Amino acid sequence: MNTENTKAQMRKGILEYCILAILSRGSAYAVDIINKLRKAELIVVEGTLYPLLTRQKNAGLLSYRWEESPQGPPRKYYELTEQGKLYLADLDKAWQELVDSVNQLRGIKKGRML
Amino acid sequence: MKITVSTNLAGYAFHMDEDAYQHLRHYLVRLEKEFSSEQGAEEIIADIEARMAELFKMRLDKYKQVISLPDIEAVLAVLGSPEAISGNGNEDYTCHRAVPRHFYRDPDGRVFGGVCAGLAAYFSINPLWIRILFALLALAGSFGIWLYLILWLVLPEAATTAQKLEMRGEPVTIANIKQAVKDEFVAVKKKINL
Repeated sequence: MNTENTKAQMRKGILEYCILAILSRGSAYAVDIINKLRKAELIVVEGTLYPLLTRQKNAGLLSYRWEESPQGPPRKYYELTEQGKLYLADLDKAWQELVDSVNQLRGIKKGRML
Repeated sequence: MKITVSTNLAGYAFHMDEDAYQHLRHYLVRLEKEFSSEQGAEEIIADIEARMAELFKMRLDKYKQVISLPDIEAVLAVLGSPEAISGNGNEDYTCHRAVPRHFYRDPDGRVFGGVCAGLAAYFSINPLWIRILFALLALAGSFGIWLYLILWLVLPEAATTAQKLEMRGEPVTIANIKQAVKDEFVAVKKKINL
């Protein structure tokens, strides 16, 4: 057992939630999202984001519009759909519950860490 | 002087050195394989190609108009390996997938043509059992000898490291190739010392 595996799986588990959370603050193109995720040390390589965005779009959580780019091909700017917003609200609640339960298990009183 | 290959990525034309082109092509084939069973695979790959085009454009200017191998390597390092992208494994997390095996003759463990060693590697058993089986078949008639000769002719030899990994049913990843090459190096060193 090593902690790196466990940490990698934790990050993997919350990645989709984090993408939606970033997009809830306004539309963005893939590289904007990547930079934010990288800053938060949630992803290492750019490529991992593209399949997730396409899956979320195909599930109806995201929509996109084309915008011209100063260099290279046009960019896809993604934003949350109404369904995506509902989905995110649900995940927000689940995340809070998860944090509360973990804190409870660790013996930390509610609200003290937040 | 070098020959360049002209390619179209996301609607943009790029000139690449031939080795650079081969490297990129190999990457894209692996990427396609990773997503072969997924709906929306074309869109994912098109998005990644569009990002590649953007990253290549940033590396070119009036004085540099051809993509070279170091450019490809730098861009692919930013994007990550096809396995990391599909989530089927990355440097942090190794998962054990069943890898399709191939029949090869094993030149490293051979007595005659490496047929028995290759079959043993395919079935992950001790080659001695296969050899005993062939010896018995050869004693019972000439069938064992003919079978051996035919297999010798038909089976390709596992010449490259990738083929040797396929023979043993191990995934062909950079880490595994490195390990296999290292193992071979140690084996050769031992032989020289003896």
